[in-house]
Amino acid sequence: MQRYAINIFFLVAAVTLVGLAQAGMLDKYVLTVITFMGINCIFAVSLNLVNGYMGEFSCGHGGFMCVGAYAGSLLSVAFFTNSKLFGAALFAPELAPFLFPLVLIGAGLAAALFGLIVALPSFHTRDDYLAIITIAANYIIISIVENIDAIGGPRGFSGMKKVVGLMTDVANVPWMLIWTIIGLFACVMIIYRLMTSTYGKGISAVCQNEVAAEIMGINTNRVKIMAFMVSSGLAGLSGALYAHVYGYVNAQAFNILKSTEGLVMVYLGGMGSISGVLLAAVAFTLLIEVLRFVIPWLNDVLHATGLLAVNYELGQVWKWVIIPLVLILLMQFRPEGFLGNRELTHVFPRLRRWITFR
Amino acid sequence: MPLLEITGLTQRFGGLQALSNFSCCLEERELAGLIGPNGAGKTTVFNIVSGFYKPTEGSIVFNGKRINGLKPHQVTAMGMARTFQNIRLWNTMTVLDNIRLARYAWLNYGFLSAVLRTGRYRRAEKAIETKAREVLEIMELTEYAEEFPKNLPYGLQRRVEMARALAGNPRLLLLDEPAAGLNSADVEGLIRHIRWIYDEFKISIWMIEHQMKVVMSLCRRLAVIDFGCTIAEGTPEEIRRDPDVIRAYLGDGAL
Repeated sequence: MQRYAINIFFLVAAVTLVGLAQAGMLDKYVLTVITFMGINCIFAVSLNLVNGYMGEFSCGHGGFMCVGAYAGSLLSVAFFTNSKLFGAALFAPELAPFLFPLVLIGAGLAAALFGLIVALPSFHTRDDYLAIITIAANYIIISIVENIDAIGGPRGFSGMKKVVGLMTDVANVPWMLIWTIIGLFACVMIIYRLMTSTYGKGISAVCQNEVAAEIMGINTNRVKIMAFMVSSGLAGLSGALYAHVYGYVNAQAFNILKSTEGLVMVYLGGMGSISGVLLAAVAFTLLIEVLRFVIPWLNDVLHATGLLAVNYELGQVWKWVIIPLVLILLMQFRPEGFLGNRELTHVFPRLRRWITFR
Repeated sequence: MPLLEITGLTQRFGGLQALSNFSCCLEERELAGLIGPNGAGKTTVFNIVSGFYKPTEGSIVFNGKRINGLKPHQVTAMGMARTFQNIRLWNTMTVLDNIRLARYAWLNYGFLSAVLRTGRYRRAEKAIETKAREVLEIMELTEYAEEFPKNLPYGLQRRVEMARALAGNPRLLLLDEPAAGLNSADVEGLIRHIRWIYDEFKISIWMIEHQMKVVMSLCRRLAVIDFGCTIAEGTPEEIRRDPDVIRAYLGDGAL
C-alpha cells in the first residue's frame, strides 16, 4: 500500500483539481494556467528524451508541436463538425468525448512521422549540425503550414472550440483539463517505462559512447530514429492539446521561440531527469504568470519610493528581461539545472519507499 | 573451415596505406596474438574486422559468411565481440546495466512492448537479468553490480569491459591491448583471467598486445605486422628469434 502512495497522491491531486474546476472554484484564468502548465510539461519532457537522454541538441521541437496542433485540429474538425473543408462530420457529435483520444493519437503519429522525416537525413550529423538541421526543420514546417491556404495559411485555423463544446454538451466537465492530465500521465509513463527498459537504455548508451554502443550490438541509427520519433510524437500530443485549449492555432505560435521555451525548461530542470524537467516546466509557467502581477506591483513600489522616474512606467516588457536574467543566474550558479541528470528519488532517497512507478 | 579467414586485406586512408595485403586465419578454439610496433596497423585490422571500417580491398569470412561491409552491430550479432584499447564503458549506468545492454542485439521486443510492459517484455527482461547476473558471477564482479564503472579501479573496469563482451555469447573475442595501463600484479591476474575465460567459455580469442609477457604466455600462434605488412608468423618461440621482428622492434643495429 505504502508503495503506491505516490500514485494515489497524484490520482487524488488530479481528481481534486478536476473537482475544484467542476465546482467552479477555480476561475477561468487559473484553470487555463494549470492546463498550460500540463501542456508545457508534456512538451518539455518529450524534448528531454532527445536533448537529455540522447544528448543531442534538437532546437526545432516547436515544429513538431505545430504538426501535432494542426493534425489534431484537422482531425477533430473532420471527425465531429460540419465544415467547409471536410464536409459533413464523420461521427455523431455525441461520440466526441469518446473518440477524442483518437484525435490525440493521430496528432502524435503525424508528428512522429515528421520526426522520422527530419531524423533520416540527420544521421551523420551530431551536435551543432543537428541543431542547425532541426532549426531549419522548424522553419520549413511553419512555412509549409503558412502556405497552405486550405487550412487558413497565415490566418490560422479554428473550429476546435466547437468540438470542445460538443464534449461539454455530452457531459459538463472541464474536458481539456482532464485530457491534459491524461496526456501528461501517458507521456511520463511512456518515457519512464522506455528509459527503464533495456530497449530504451540503448538511448543512454548511444549518448555516452556511440562507438561502444555500436560494437555491443546496438543499431545506433535505429535507436536514434526511435528516440526522435517518440520525442516528436509526444510533442505533437502537446500541440493537439494546446490547439484545443486555445480553440485556435497559428503556425507562428510554434516558431523558434516556442522551441527555445522547451530548451529552457529542459536545461532548467536538468537534462535526463523526468522529475527535474517537470519541476522546471511548472516553475517556468508559473514564473511567466507571476511576473504579470509582480511587475505592476514593483512599478507601484518603485514609484512610491521615488526610485523610478515619474514619467516612466515599468511595463510587461520587462518580463523578458527578468526571465532571461533568472536563467543567466541559474546557469551561472547551477549549470546542471535543478536536479542534474538525477531524479527526485536520487536526491531524496527516502521518497523511494513511497513510490512504485512501473 | 577456419572461424575467421582474412585474405588480401588492404586499407587506404587517402594517400596513407594503413594495411597492405594482410592475410590471416584463425581456427576454432584458437588463442592467437597480433603484435607489432606502434602504428603498425594492428588496431586497423580489428576495426575492419569488427565493421568500423570498410576495407579498400580484400575479404573477411567469419563463421562461413562474408562480413566485410556489414555494420559493427551486425557483426556483433553474428558472434564476435571486442574490447577497446581505451576503455569504453557507459559511465552513468551501473555495471549491471552495462552488461545487460550487451544483450541488445538479441532483444525480441519493441517499443510498444516496453511501454505496455507486455508478457514478452517481462520474460525478455528476466532472461537478460539472469544472464547478466550469471556473467557478473563468473567474472567475480557481483559485488560491483550496482556501482558506476567510473568509480571502479582501472583493472576492474577492464574486467567489466571483458564481462560485457562475453555477455553477448561470442564465438570470437577480440581483445585490443587488454594489458594497457595495468600494473604488473594486475597483468598476472589478467593472464589468469584470459586463460580461464578461454577454457570456461570455449571460445576463440584474438588479441593485440604490447607486453611480451602476456602474448608469450598466452598465445600459441602470433602474427607480427609492421607498416601494414605481415612480417612474420609462427609460435612465440619462432617469433622471438625471427630477425625481421627484431629489426622491426629494435632497429637494424640490434642484429
